[in-house]
Amino acid sequence: MLPRGSEGAYMMYTPDGRLVQVEYAAEAAKYGSPVVAVRGKGFAVMVARTKEPDPLLDPMEKIHMVDENIGIAGAGFTGDIQLLVDQARVEAQRHRLVFEDPIDVRTLVNQLGQFMYQFTRYGNVRPLGASLIVIGSDRVGNHIFQLDTRGLILSGKALAIGKNSEAAISMLRGEYRADIAMKDAIGLAVKALSSAEDGESPVEVGIANGISFRKMCLKEALEPVA
Amino acid sequence: MKNIHVVVMTTIVAVKCADGVVLASDRRASKGGMIGSKSVKKIYPIDSRKAVAIAGQLSDANYLVNLVKAEAKLIEFNRGFPLTVKEVAKLLSNMLYSGMRNYAPYITELLVAGVDETGPNVFEADISGAVTDETFTSSGSGSPMAYGVLEASYREGLTVKEGAEIAKRAVRSAMERDPGSGNGVQIVVITKNGLEVLDAGGAA
Repeated sequence: MLPRGSEGAYMMYTPDGRLVQVEYAAEAAKYGSPVVAVRGKGFAVMVARTKEPDPLLDPMEKIHMVDENIGIAGAGFTGDIQLLVDQARVEAQRHRLVFEDPIDVRTLVNQLGQFMYQFTRYGNVRPLGASLIVIGSDRVGNHIFQLDTRGLILSGKALAIGKNSEAAISMLRGEYRADIAMKDAIGLAVKALSSAEDGESPVEVGIANGISFRKMCLKEALEPVA
Repeated sequence: MKNIHVVVMTTIVAVKCADGVVLASDRRASKGGMIGSKSVKKIYPIDSRKAVAIAGQLSDANYLVNLVKAEAKLIEFNRGFPLTVKEVAKLLSNMLYSGMRNYAPYITELLVAGVDETGPNVFEADISGAVTDETFTSSGSGSPMAYGVLEASYREGLTVKEGAEIAKRAVRSAMERDPGSGNGVQIVVITKNGLEVLDAGGAA
């Protein structure tokens, strides 16, 4: 017998072996505005559109700095994304306290994955309605990772999350080349992003190369190097 | 906390060379004025390219080394690539520091040496948790004598073969004059190709 008032709050399997609360949360993440990431030789980039500009509002940021070498963009509930970004920033600083070096991307992503996964194991909590793309550089190389509600971690050459990401992925699948240059990669990512979601709002670009991550507007990212 | 730098009966030496690192130690364990053991191992591998030389309380040092060995392996499994020498030194020093802060210090000094993608590295971690980056270093009651040899003989660009010779001479000199050191020299050489026990020092 469940305690009164907690019916349905338990995270339990359906008879056919599914966790529907987790599936609903994953569905929520599919309504967020899309993010596309592409990795090439010596770099990783991600692009995302900010909210439609409003003269009364300051622009909201979509790509978040975690540490000097890592950035995150999320799709889904803004509050859940912010919680994850905060968590990532704390983990990055914790790593610096222990090792006096910036955290590597894999370790950060594993920790975020564990964090998200915990919400699928217990009752009376709500699985996070957010997917993340994490890109960054460390001494191993440049990386792109994707995280979802379940705590599932994917990595690869090109990834997309959020609304209509299937369209973006099918475009990436057709046009990605292993020897793609950075400007072309940004162009391809923006094209894939636009295939998922029309819009005129500004595009944010995150670039990881060398050992650093930088965030900029699209114009700056495509400027010829001075 | 003023007497935190306790005298530890041992001689250990670590030397950074152009192509790797050398660790050397004597084999004596002292129990007060008595020789407790004549065949103690004081150099422990952490993984295939890193090792720690220990001085001080054998139990404390063993405990720390075993803990860090386990921690290093778990981290490597998790992230897919091994720790740097500095990271191993930091893991050790964090425990040493918290020991000191909690009035239950680990009575030990550790020389952490190895080869990682930044090249050969030697670090020293002391009882207070301080970590220093060194080219050559020595610890234990025999270190003043060992330093005499190291200061006179060390130069940049040594090969591990030359480094091993100098390290051996440093420990031997200490064994001649320091009652806390003796009973043979153990030498471990680490290059990018791996770890090799060059001389077990007359292992019993």
